[in-house]
Amino acid sequence: MSFAKQLNLIDYSLSSLWRRRFKSLGVMVVFAGVIFLLASFQMTTKALTSLAAESLAFAPEITIQKMRAGRQESIPVAYQARLSEILGITAITPRVWGYYFNETKGANYTILGLDPLSMPLGDQLGRAIDQRRLPREHEVVLGRGVQGAASGSGSSIISLFRPDLSLKAMTIVGNFQPETDFLTYDTLFMGLADARDLFGLPPEMVTDLCVTVANPSEVATVAKKIASLLPDTRVVTRQQVQKTYQSVFGWRSGFASVCLLTALTSFIIFAWDKASGLTPEEKKEIAILKMVGWQTADVLALRFWEGMIVSLLSFVVGYTLAYVHVSFFEAALFRPILIGWSVIHPSIPLRPTVNLGETLLVLCLTVVPYLTATIIPSWRAAIIPADSAMN
Amino acid sequence: MSTALIELENVCKTYNQGQANQVLALRDITLTIAANSMVCLRGASGSGKSTLLSIIGCVFPPTSGRAAIAGKQLTRMPDRFLTIHRRATIGFIFQHFNVLPELTVLENITLPLMPLGVAPRQRKERAERLMEMLAISHRANFPARQISGGELQRVAIARALINTPPILLADEPTAHLDHPLSLAFMEIMRDLQASGKTIILTSHDRLITEHPAVERIIAIQDGKIYVP
Amino acid sequence: MFLNSWSVALTVLSLVVVVLTAVAVRTAIRVLCWWEPSSDSNRQIRLENETWLSSTLVQYAMGFQVLSLLLFVMAADNLSAVIRGAMCATGALTANQFGMSVLVLKLLSAFFCGFWIVLHSFDISSERYPLLRAKYLALICLLPLVLADVVAQTLYLAYLTPDIITSCCAVVFGEGGGDGGNLLGTVPQGEVLVVFYGTALGLATGGHFLFRRISRWLLWLNGLLWLFFVGLSLVAITTVFSSYIYAMPYHHCPFCILKSEYHSIGIFIYGSLLPAGFLGMASALVDAIPIRLGLGEVVQRFQKKALLVSSILMVLFVALVSYPLCRYLLLGGEGKGARGWPFG
Repeated sequence: MSFAKQLNLIDYSLSSLWRRRFKSLGVMVVFAGVIFLLASFQMTTKALTSLAAESLAFAPEITIQKMRAGRQESIPVAYQARLSEILGITAITPRVWGYYFNETKGANYTILGLDPLSMPLGDQLGRAIDQRRLPREHEVVLGRGVQGAASGSGSSIISLFRPDLSLKAMTIVGNFQPETDFLTYDTLFMGLADARDLFGLPPEMVTDLCVTVANPSEVATVAKKIASLLPDTRVVTRQQVQKTYQSVFGWRSGFASVCLLTALTSFIIFAWDKASGLTPEEKKEIAILKMVGWQTADVLALRFWEGMIVSLLSFVVGYTLAYVHVSFFEAALFRPILIGWSVIHPSIPLRPTVNLGETLLVLCLTVVPYLTATIIPSWRAAIIPADSAMN
Repeated sequence: MSTALIELENVCKTYNQGQANQVLALRDITLTIAANSMVCLRGASGSGKSTLLSIIGCVFPPTSGRAAIAGKQLTRMPDRFLTIHRRATIGFIFQHFNVLPELTVLENITLPLMPLGVAPRQRKERAERLMEMLAISHRANFPARQISGGELQRVAIARALINTPPILLADEPTAHLDHPLSLAFMEIMRDLQASGKTIILTSHDRLITEHPAVERIIAIQDGKIYVP
Repeated sequence: MFLNSWSVALTVLSLVVVVLTAVAVRTAIRVLCWWEPSSDSNRQIRLENETWLSSTLVQYAMGFQVLSLLLFVMAADNLSAVIRGAMCATGALTANQFGMSVLVLKLLSAFFCGFWIVLHSFDISSERYPLLRAKYLALICLLPLVLADVVAQTLYLAYLTPDIITSCCAVVFGEGGGDGGNLLGTVPQGEVLVVFYGTALGLATGGHFLFRRISRWLLWLNGLLWLFFVGLSLVAITTVFSSYIYAMPYHHCPFCILKSEYHSIGIFIYGSLLPAGFLGMASALVDAIPIRLGLGEVVQRFQKKALLVSSILMVLFVALVSYPLCRYLLLGGEGKGARGWPFG
């Protein structure tokens, strides 16, 4: 089949689609809708995974948590000393963190307590705060989502309940910058002692130990050594957290893809039906084409090009709409499925990427089944006998 | 003396061969049509006329017998090769013209050229020559549904001639035309015969069967050539 | 790891290929049982119509299998982010014993479909369809190949273990391996390059002589050399050329060159190597068609065209893989771009 011939067939396909534009448009609208759904899920998953990876770049290379009966409990600060012999560890930062439930707002806050100066570059943390200074004793920095829930709007004091229901008042000395919303929106950042006081933790205990390792390729080795030195702990690397996030998002996306397969299957049946349902005029047209010298292979190629044009146009429209949906509307339709529910939610800047792999994925899930569904109807059309034009 | 362009020898055609509803449409048809002649096939509905026209027109091969059209043996030729031979050899003019109403006149005429990979400019040039010859150039860009019956007829003729086939087949070409248009059609056919074409018509119309240009009438009855 | 968009897409695509092949094989069996070229029965007419269906199905199957091959590599690259010890596609493909088998099966079935389409095009060029029986017997052999592919792929996905946080205290840590360095072991780069360029030169020379005059023994030698060259090229890409494309001496993955951060140069590299190899081998294989079948002219026309196109693609392939290496050698280091490309 020559290139010039294919161009002619594409020309005729376009003309043919235009002549049956309402039928073609109907198929394209539904198809673009299915592609929109699948592509939105895929883009959102990818964007969230990338966002998680970006945010995890600031996470410690290794986190050590104490376990008992398969559940996490507080870890003694003294465990730090047992790790002093491991080469490659730059710093160990004790950390207290947990959740505080505000009954009046029905919101969960994340409480984070640590001494920034014990972290590498910890003195730079002030840049993430609008007042550019770190909280001292009885002081707290709030995420922007928490500010509104402080005791009286505009107040510089926030009071929280200790476990024994006594009130702990802290002075608000700043808010996190808007650019850090994804990480800090629901966060109250304070000193280690204040966090212990709030949760009623003894002075020698913390929630976990954050370990900074100088050489990234040494992380697994250091983690192994820590695990052997502290057998009652769970040692988690940043890479594992990343992979877990990706697995979870991937699982949710895969689950959604499977659910959307039912929508895709319905569309394929619809496409088959539309492709099969030739009107008498269409049958006559094919018979005439064959009478004037078009071969069966030419009619098959014609139908192939029609299918390709419809599917590729639908793909472009559906994919573009998905991009707009994820970029400009933050995947509003699917966020609860992938992100979960919360009273205070930051605006999550999703940046979907368009690359070969992701595009191919959606193409294979949509265009391939559609083209497959049109093969036999196309063949049935192509074998219409030429002499039927004479009747 | 003209050489035989169409030669049929003991040609039979059976539909639904081997089944209970088997139909013997043509029985032992033997005929020869010389090049550059004008012949009319005449027969009632169900006589086998359309089947004979289809075999001559390389639409399908005979079940048995020998059929040679423009030097090519058709017997058990696969459909692909029949089509290739048909588009180079036969120009069809259908009973209802079978012009695609939504396409323009130019697009209809150049339909046979598309699967040959002929470029748009060359298609247009070839079509324009024919449209000028048939005096329909002024309708080139009109959709076929907007033109008159006589113009439709000439579009059908132009389409049949676009591949310069040596043989033209016209199936009941004047069935839906008035007297003046039917006469005009026969004049075009006479001119084409004069230019070297072989014309085979099927018709009941006396205007055609008794037209002086028609050299021979072949009557078909019950699948056989009828000699009164 | 089935509940993952990539796994779902791969499974859908493979099942589509199996269905297309199965329907085509149905036609093949019917044709082999009941084909009667001299008959004018409705069954014979139906069978003739079905031959168009079978060829269409195989063409689609080939196209989808090529897509499946590409998708599989991309999926492996994406899944490597969640698999223990995998840094990129190589690590993901070597995560269990089925990964590389799937790759090979997909490539083989795509090549098989291609050869069948060539055979079919010869067959329909003659009114007698002289290759009909051989063609449909060959088609029946395609089905086990695609079935093996879908089974191997399913097993591969089933045995993939995501590296997620466990609740217990004992954790297994994967080494940061699977970067291609462990794919082939130690291979002397210098020797590989000498054999690579020597074979390319041999193919170019052979192609030149064959284009002027087809000689049977030279054709077969050329075909075998092409088979060798494709395998050698994959080794050369893995052990030598890829690290110059990445500008990283220890990164030997043959699949990361498909990624957008390397301008997806891998698409052009494999997109020139594999079709060139296919055409080079096909030009020799079709020589086995007996002359008595009357396809001599058609076969020779194909051979000349195939040899020409394969030579052009081979030159393109050699140029693409050689450029980063030459750039490094001439400019002494990474030069302007971090990726070894002028626009990197």
